[in-house]
Amino acid sequence: MKYRIIDDLTSDVLFKARGKDMKDVFENAALAMFSVICEVERVKPEKMLEVEVQAESADRLMINWLQELIGLVDTESMFFSKFEVTEIGEKRLKARIYGEDMTPEKGETVVKAVTYYKYKFQKTKEGYSVTVSLDI
Amino acid sequence: MMKEKLESVNEFEWRLPKSARKEMKVDARIIANSKIMNAIEDDAVQQLTNVACLPGVVEPVIGLPDMHWGYGLPMGAASAFDANEGIISAGLCGFDINCGINLIRTNLPYDEIKKKQKELVEELFRAIPVGVGAKGKLRLTRDELEEVLVKGIDWAVENGYATKDDKRATEESGRMDGADPSKVSDLAKKRGLPQLGTLGAGNHFLEVQRVSDVLDSETADKWGISGENQSLIMLHCGSRGFGHQIATDYLKIQEDAVKKYSIWLPDKQLACAPVNSDEGQDFFAAMQTAVNYSFTNRAVMTKWIREVFEKVFSRTWEDMGMDTLYAIAHNIVKLEEFKIDGKTRKLYVHRKGATRSYPGKPVIIAGSMGTSSYLLQGTENALRKTFGSSAHGAGRAMSRHSAIKKFWGGKIKEELSGKGIEARSPNPKSLAEEAPLAYKDVEAVVDSVHGADVSTKVARLVPVCVVKG
Repeated sequence: MKYRIIDDLTSDVLFKARGKDMKDVFENAALAMFSVICEVERVKPEKMLEVEVQAESADRLMINWLQELIGLVDTESMFFSKFEVTEIGEKRLKARIYGEDMTPEKGETVVKAVTYYKYKFQKTKEGYSVTVSLDI
Repeated sequence: MMKEKLESVNEFEWRLPKSARKEMKVDARIIANSKIMNAIEDDAVQQLTNVACLPGVVEPVIGLPDMHWGYGLPMGAASAFDANEGIISAGLCGFDINCGINLIRTNLPYDEIKKKQKELVEELFRAIPVGVGAKGKLRLTRDELEEVLVKGIDWAVENGYATKDDKRATEESGRMDGADPSKVSDLAKKRGLPQLGTLGAGNHFLEVQRVSDVLDSETADKWGISGENQSLIMLHCGSRGFGHQIATDYLKIQEDAVKKYSIWLPDKQLACAPVNSDEGQDFFAAMQTAVNYSFTNRAVMTKWIREVFEKVFSRTWEDMGMDTLYAIAHNIVKLEEFKIDGKTRKLYVHRKGATRSYPGKPVIIAGSMGTSSYLLQGTENALRKTFGSSAHGAGRAMSRHSAIKKFWGGKIKEELSGKGIEARSPNPKSLAEEAPLAYKDVEAVVDSVHGADVSTKVARLVPVCVVKG
């Protein structure tokens, strides 16, 4: 499974995403977050944007990546459903993200922020996993 | 278990002595009756103790009866810090800066609303952009946005969206004067530009309500509530992506400040900065732009609500007496004066999911969808006990995920309809996530603040039309 929502927080949403490598876990975490924001399965990947994100560590890179995507929902008025990380290092990533113009019918809830609560980014036997809570 | 260390002060108040934990500088205090206290999570009480460890914190750290676990500090909490030796914290303010409520009066009796109920809810749903994905109708230039950030509701008055009476009936008169847009990131402004005049999603809503009970007729009368079955309008929303981005930006800035100023934190989520540092004052100035944005956001939507009523009832809004009864903020930091041990002290009061409760001023507590809301009055005791703060809502009792699994939006809509409430939302899931049973009992919340005399009941309001984001 790419990700699962952990039913643990009363006010917020907690999810765990996995990936066989860094690229994979970043893509799956983005998908997990957008499954909260909109009905991802109905959002067509018809428009593409290129994104570049930097941070001081891989840990922080994940937070910055997700925060960047939250910002793009508002500035581009789009929902995203497909994520392709094209280049990734510990401190920088480049990605192509795909989606469509947003409509309230496909919207679910506003994610206000990515938080540090229970945040855990780790290397596992199978690759990587990340646990993230979203303030909604 | 931190809850075990709580001492009962009286039926509605609990004290957590600073001896509960060695790093605590001050006591914490919780306003709750026994029903509420049983439901409060231990983690949330633990969070109050974390705040009681911060520099310059003034006794006591307050937990309100709607408190539930939140990022850093519970939602439903207030904390105050010395204006010289304390801290200012983005984390203690909340992500949705000036999420708040406008209560708009009408002179329409419930019977009149009832006749046009379906039409009214449809028209409101059409006029107010609701839900994630709804686009705003205003086309602001960047310069106009800057003006909104500085002037707040004055911008709305100058541009015909609000009246001077609306301004007078708004906390801070709808404008905080320390707002400085140069302290706000470009990204926040980009996010804010298309969203002014939008409601958002989550727990934000627009309701037409009727007065079900007048509980303090003298005060109700003073505020233009003449009796039962009078209709009111409640609008709950915040500063949208603009405020979320400011909070996100400054959490990062203040995380670095914690290292720079060697502040010991019991929890990383409590990022903060000394009150007189750049990182503290810049946040304070940026936060005030979001406060102004949000007051303007609700004022703009108030105009559109008035227009809908004019269309549906073929009368002018003035004729229907649609004045703002009061507009209040929930998530905010303010520099306020309080008398402590006979001395007047200036404090930075952080209200997170908390309403200001000043003597004689309206306090508005929103219930969950389909249940009652309350209009209350602030008290002198609130100044002494809670830094002039009261509860803001019912407080979640069940996660959104559980609520969606447990309830089906279509069924909720039917159930509401059975109770005479017409609900509308762009997506049925948003009705499920806000299902009434996903929240604590608002009656117990209100009984607690009333019992502790930090605000007293004036009127109980029940929904008639619900528009959910």
